[in-house]
Amino acid sequence: MYNVSLPWWAWVMMGVGLAVFAGLIVLSIRRNHGVKRSLFASPYTLWMIIFTVVPCILVAYYAFTDANGAFTLDNFRHFWDSNHAKNQMYANMSEEYASYITRGTVNVDTLLYSLWMAFLCTLICLLLGYPAALFMADKHMKIGATIVVLFIIPMWMNFLLRTIAWMSLLEDNGLINTFLKWLGFDGVQLMYNSSAVLLGMVYNFLPFMVFPIYTSLSKLDPKLGEAAQDLGCNEWRTFTRVTAPLSLPGVISGITMVFMPSVTTFFIPRILGGGNTMMFGDLIESKFLTEGNWNVGSALSMIMMVLILLSLGILRKADPEGEGGGIA
Amino acid sequence: MMEQEHLIDLSNISKEYDGTTVLNNINLYVRKKEFVTLLGPSGCGKTTTLRIIGGFEYPTTGTVYFEGQDITAIPPYKRQVNTVFQKYALFPHLNVRDNIAFGLNVKNHKIANASLKQKLFGKKTAEVSDMKKLSRKEIDKKVDRMLELVNLKGYGKRSVDQLSGGQQQRIAIARALVNEPEVLLLDEPLGALDLKLRKEMQLELKSMQQQLGITFIYVTHDQEEALTMSDTVVVMRDGNILQIGDPKRIYDEPANAFVADFIGESNILRGTMMEDELVNFCGVNFPCVDSGFGENVPVDVVIRPEDIMIVGEDIGQLTGTVQSVLFKGVHYEMMIDTGDTVLKVHSTVMQPQGSRVGISIVPYNIHIMHPMDEAAPEEEAEESV
Repeated sequence: MYNVSLPWWAWVMMGVGLAVFAGLIVLSIRRNHGVKRSLFASPYTLWMIIFTVVPCILVAYYAFTDANGAFTLDNFRHFWDSNHAKNQMYANMSEEYASYITRGTVNVDTLLYSLWMAFLCTLICLLLGYPAALFMADKHMKIGATIVVLFIIPMWMNFLLRTIAWMSLLEDNGLINTFLKWLGFDGVQLMYNSSAVLLGMVYNFLPFMVFPIYTSLSKLDPKLGEAAQDLGCNEWRTFTRVTAPLSLPGVISGITMVFMPSVTTFFIPRILGGGNTMMFGDLIESKFLTEGNWNVGSALSMIMMVLILLSLGILRKADPEGEGGGIA
Repeated sequence: MMEQEHLIDLSNISKEYDGTTVLNNINLYVRKKEFVTLLGPSGCGKTTTLRIIGGFEYPTTGTVYFEGQDITAIPPYKRQVNTVFQKYALFPHLNVRDNIAFGLNVKNHKIANASLKQKLFGKKTAEVSDMKKLSRKEIDKKVDRMLELVNLKGYGKRSVDQLSGGQQQRIAIARALVNEPEVLLLDEPLGALDLKLRKEMQLELKSMQQQLGITFIYVTHDQEEALTMSDTVVVMRDGNILQIGDPKRIYDEPANAFVADFIGESNILRGTMMEDELVNFCGVNFPCVDSGFGENVPVDVVIRPEDIMIVGEDIGQLTGTVQSVLFKGVHYEMMIDTGDTVLKVHSTVMQPQGSRVGISIVPYNIHIMHPMDEAAPEEEAEESV
């Protein structure tokens, strides 16, 4: 079992944090001569502190310490060069031997691969999701509401279950291959490659793209479209000049809500990629659960968090009012 | 000969939504530079008529002509009309200047596309290919002139949601007018403004229309607005046109009891035409100026409240008791019970409640009309102010 014990000062810090929180509540009650509305948020704030802020601090703690609890940046060096530890070990033994060990690029490569896959997934979701949202939000289409329900129903099912269900479709003896063989074709290898992973990601994250866009489109005043037509726009120009720019907040929040879970996803690649593909989420997970190296795992998590925060910041610039109703 | 002046002709227009008739065989023409108002209670089909002219709805049957050409099936973006929408429909992602320049920019794009097509395929694709693109400067100049026209100079850089209702209203008008349309369609454009602002905008709109010489087709349910601004008023009800005429004629000679009631306030009484120029109502014979109804024919009698004179009890054609008195600013509104019916009377002289008064009506103030076959339009009466 990994050593979870914390130094005494970490416990003190957490204790001080909770004391300050309790003090703030008391102060707020005193100051307002009674209970103020914002006080009702305190259970949630407490929850956030215990389950979000404290874990974040712990991740940071592990990322900057070694197995003995001493401060180090080695974990981040490990991200850049996965052979770092080995290198150091051999460097003490023999100069010549050490020169054989080159930089291990697996971590950086995995991150780049994850970003690329997430980018592709977001792009495909946008290309599929926008027209779908447009169709759903069209008030003249009577079946729009039905399609909304069709998009929601799969979300009632468990995420893992949905992904595993794809296996039975894509497997060598799965539904599609059985059908192909029945038709007289040779079977095709559908699983255990990047495309299968991408398919699973798009399938799982598509609703997160469709719904924010659908929301911002259905909030659009249909009179705006009429005004554009009145001022000389045909259907296409109405779309490019009015509909598209006004649905941008929805698009941005859709992109955020698809991109972030895509980068960090770790279950889909394992099921549908079958170990042939590794994404950054899998890497972090294996650091923690397989290698038991919490320090390197935490460093990788922090790198991921920083990247996500950066992208959130950029997206927030594009949609300052947060009109998309997303988390951006 | 009048035919040549017609800019827009609606010919036998009917419109049905899911089996409900909204417009019932409407015929209407609009002359150049005319200010036409479509007036009627909500649900009378006035907005639908406007939308058919704008191209946002297609009539179920009938034809729309523009300068003699059938434009029934032409989409809105190819029509030489522009609309000021009820809730303005300004583009929230554009600032004031870009909102106004929208139509011009779109036109520039069209011209650029057309000339590109011409270069690529060597054929003239559209009528726009002959036209020249406007330069950035020309567009700026036109927008500035519009901002000046609507008294919003210096507001160009503002976002549209920073403007008040009245200002947004003006921007909507500027956005439509900058395209120099032949016809401007206005769908209850002043509906969301307060009374004072509405009166100001009425005058401004009217002077803009005269200044620019553009045809205005205006939709409203406010009869006062219609009378103030229009050259021609079209009174509509339940998808039918009841009367077309200039404001004075509509007010003085309403075609039927509904028009009379909707345009201004009126007393509508059931009466009998005894003979030419003599009508009986409230059990008394009154001399009037109408004839040709026949003898002993049931008719509707319409009398404006301000046309009823209160005289001494002994010399009145009718006598009655003052039931209630309301102060209305310029005048008092009194309900006078004649025993047979209750008359609404406007007078600058107040009679105390409960007092006995005489009533007298000048013959030409008694309007006789054929009774409407439907029930008296009681519920719509509330619309008139």
